[in-house]
Amino acid sequence: MLKSKIRNFKTLFSTNQKAKELALGLSPSWTVIVAEKQTGGYGRKGAAWFSPGGGLYFSIILPKSQIEDLQTLTILAAFITAKTIKENFNLEPFIKLPNDVWINGKKIAGILTENIVRPTSGGHPDVKLSIMGIGLNTNIDKFPKELENIATSLKIELGREVDNKKILSQIIEGLKEQLKTISQ
Amino acid sequence: MKIKIKDKVYDVEISELDKERVKIIVNEKEFIFGEKIGKQEKISTTYTTIPKRSFAKKEIKAPIGGKITEIFVREGEFVKRDQKILILSSMKMENEIISDFAGKVKEILVKENQNVKEEETLIVLT
Repeated sequence: MLKSKIRNFKTLFSTNQKAKELALGLSPSWTVIVAEKQTGGYGRKGAAWFSPGGGLYFSIILPKSQIEDLQTLTILAAFITAKTIKENFNLEPFIKLPNDVWINGKKIAGILTENIVRPTSGGHPDVKLSIMGIGLNTNIDKFPKELENIATSLKIELGREVDNKKILSQIIEGLKEQLKTISQ
Repeated sequence: MKIKIKDKVYDVEISELDKERVKIIVNEKEFIFGEKIGKQEKISTTYTTIPKRSFAKKEIKAPIGGKITEIFVREGEFVKRDQKILILSSMKMENEIISDFAGKVKEILVKENQNVKEEETLIVLT
């Protein structure tokens, strides 16, 4: 199996942006960009993603795939994230389609896949680049007032810290497995 | 705009690059005026690389169904191959659509926040 290269950063504006930049600079697929915090983390339609220290924020440069497979993989990423939470911590996550994970009625994780696509005349669209970003609220103690009723973290739910590294590698391995099944 | 000089029609586009420079494109040949070097004015010319591909319609189509969330080009503008054209958000992804052609944007058939189907024509270039 292809090894993933993990690149750790203290602070990034956004792991998705960094991943895009690295992918355009020809970093290989399955390079994973991790930031301890993001200053401009965002979700779909540019919505801000609260990203203080303690949370798990990462983006993966995906291998060249068909656009349909990427769409399937993005939905599966929510399932894999939920499964990882359920199996490690015995919590009951709920998948809010298309790409959020909730616990006890509050958001705990979000996924955003971004592609650069060149539609070709008559042929299959050429996906030049794909990255998948996942934000998972792990060791976040507290949310600001405007988010406290809609967001939660594993630490808040469990009353203890969790191992970000272990969760990260489980999610990446899960994604690799899934991509193998859907794209072959 | 088109200018006719002695029965020959020239396709001319004039645009301001900045306060001091003006770009004029005449039949795909690009001239830049206004770059001052000493007392002389330098005129630089380059050819824009617009491939003649009349055999295929220059249409940019939706590679997947979704919603147009942002459009980066305007009608009349010249785009290069691989230039960012628009963002098409499908339920699970944000797709930056880039052009497969170089050319002039003839028609933008969609608006921001419009839903589109797969294969729907979004932009026509000439």
